[in-house]
Amino acid sequence: MRNWLTGLLIIGLVSIFGCEQQKELKVAVAAPYTGGAAAFGEMIRRGAELKQKEINEAGGINGMKLTLLFEDDAGKGSEASLVAERIASNPQIVAVVGHFNSSCSLAGQEIYDRAGIVELSPGSTAVNVCEGSPWTFRNLYRDDFQGKFIAQYIDNVLTDLESVAVFFDNDDYGRGLRNAFVAEAERIGLNLVASEAYERDSTNFKAQLTSIKAKNPDAIFISGLFQEAGLIVKQGREAGITAQFFGADGVDSPDFLTIAESAAEGVYLTTPFTFGAAGAEAKQMAANFEAFHGVAPDTWAALTYDAVGMIAEALEKTYNPEATIADNRTAIREHLASLDTPEEGYEGVTGLTYFDINGDTVDKPAYVKIVKDGQFVAAEKQLSELK
Amino acid sequence: MAQLLEQFINGLVLGGIYALIAVGYTMVYGIIQLINFAHGEIFMFGAYLALMLITVFNIPFWVALPASMLLCAMLGMLIDLVAYRPLRDAPRLSALITAIGISLVLQNLARMIWSARPQQFPTETLPAFFVSEVNMQTGEILNAIPLPGGGILPYRDVFILALAVVLMIALNRLIHLTKIGKAMRACAQNRVASNLMGIKTNQVIAITFAIGSALGAVAGIMVGLSENITPTMGYYKGVAAFAAAVLGGIGNITGAMLGGIIIGLAEVLGAGYISGGYRLAIAYIIMIAVIVIRPSGLLGKSTATRA
Repeated sequence: MRNWLTGLLIIGLVSIFGCEQQKELKVAVAAPYTGGAAAFGEMIRRGAELKQKEINEAGGINGMKLTLLFEDDAGKGSEASLVAERIASNPQIVAVVGHFNSSCSLAGQEIYDRAGIVELSPGSTAVNVCEGSPWTFRNLYRDDFQGKFIAQYIDNVLTDLESVAVFFDNDDYGRGLRNAFVAEAERIGLNLVASEAYERDSTNFKAQLTSIKAKNPDAIFISGLFQEAGLIVKQGREAGITAQFFGADGVDSPDFLTIAESAAEGVYLTTPFTFGAAGAEAKQMAANFEAFHGVAPDTWAALTYDAVGMIAEALEKTYNPEATIADNRTAIREHLASLDTPEEGYEGVTGLTYFDINGDTVDKPAYVKIVKDGQFVAAEKQLSELK
Repeated sequence: MAQLLEQFINGLVLGGIYALIAVGYTMVYGIIQLINFAHGEIFMFGAYLALMLITVFNIPFWVALPASMLLCAMLGMLIDLVAYRPLRDAPRLSALITAIGISLVLQNLARMIWSARPQQFPTETLPAFFVSEVNMQTGEILNAIPLPGGGILPYRDVFILALAVVLMIALNRLIHLTKIGKAMRACAQNRVASNLMGIKTNQVIAITFAIGSALGAVAGIMVGLSENITPTMGYYKGVAAFAAAVLGGIGNITGAMLGGIIIGLAEVLGAGYISGGYRLAIAYIIMIAVIVIRPSGLLGKSTATRA
């Protein structure tokens, strides 16, 4: 009896130590899992989980398991600073995929910079997110590109729209995108008739919509997020506005459709990626995603899937179990920074990603979607090149 | 000019909603000197309960509206019974902290039951004349009155405004013409003396909570008609309505109505003509300006309160 017990104890101890030797690699995925932008966070989590599953089922990263830690920033800069401190001070986390909201990425930037850990955003488009820190990267376009793109799309493709109004969220993202749009609209001679602001989490937009309606624009560009945009479109139609609504990537969420209901019909928006215009690899990823999660992936799920893939690739090429955490974190940065030409770039489902000196993605296109019969579909005419 | 008229009406509609919520704050304060921070959450529950009655139990809107008022009235009385009545003679700060606690409990309860995701009344369950949408081809607008100069006034907004006015008049009559109204005024003047005179003060306080909560529920449903229903909706509208109650002179019911209209107009005109990025801030600045000049609010009595 006694021998039997001792044997069990030894087996137990061996298996504990055995586990410890089989190392796991921890990557934080920071996004808004609660709050107004939680619908984005949900897709980010699912995209990351799919990549994690595929990596681990294929044997992990050099035999080590990839573990994701989901950290909630609630879409608020103040919360993001706390999350960033917690991540940066955890010596087991090798890199961060996130944040989503530009104001959160900016809040985290300084902290990650000081700690020396990579921040790879799959969703922040504000112009200055990557500037000022060698540790910050993103795998999608910037708002100066996006704003310019929207102005040119309205000017060149939707030619019967002559006057535009801007309705913007009064935060980093909304203001930055508005500025880019307005600058380009002025340059190409698009007639800008109104520019109105709203506060994040507002639910009543009638006052500003009434002001915009009085200027009678042909198109209204909403520079903000889906929750407010859904209500703006709905309340706008109620107030008798017949103008063409145009949104940006912040509106690109299935929840926009449920909030705006029938008023969403015919709304245009830009997005960094759309499955409708993507290759076979993306279609395969979408099928796997649906089999795993039971819902179709969106833009942010795909971008996060690629961001986790990039970090995994960096770990595979550079991770040294003998080195210190600081060295390993630095090695990931060096690897990402070395992806600076199309040849070196990372080929993911959202296209080829490579970085400029700031860590911004170069030459990734924008796509235009339109709401048709309650669904997002790729718009008939895309704009392949900016003038 | 046409735009000003439309903005003015927008402001009145929002102000009417604020007034409905603000009387709930002010009535409770008038009678037990408690700022009932859970009132915004009752407003939110009003919207959610009506939504649940309509979508889960398939009850028509016109039944769900009074049913939700009744349920919220009961919720208000329940909160008074379990949270405030035991603290009636405790220091006022204890009751205030409790109110904040109840507010957090209700908000998180709503998050647990209905999730944080914004919801709306399904269009097909609402009375047909509430749904005003523009015809994209002709530019014609259903269910709305055209205003001179191209503006429009949806029937729904007319209904909200009319309902707010009717309820305010009814409340005013109730306070001034009925026995329970007299009892409420007596309790507001001096609770101990009222008790000595044979007024069942606890019962009067419970009825005060019930009336305030039912009006809050109406406001919640009206907001839900055109905005999102979320667990935090009570916070945003509640703070603005509280400002309205303070502006009008807290404890004074007519003042709360007036304050609601002023805050609503200030918010809408500020957003329409100054900047939409700071709409609540503009309303608060007006409130602060009034309070600086008249510390007891517009219609508040300038007697020293028992602090």
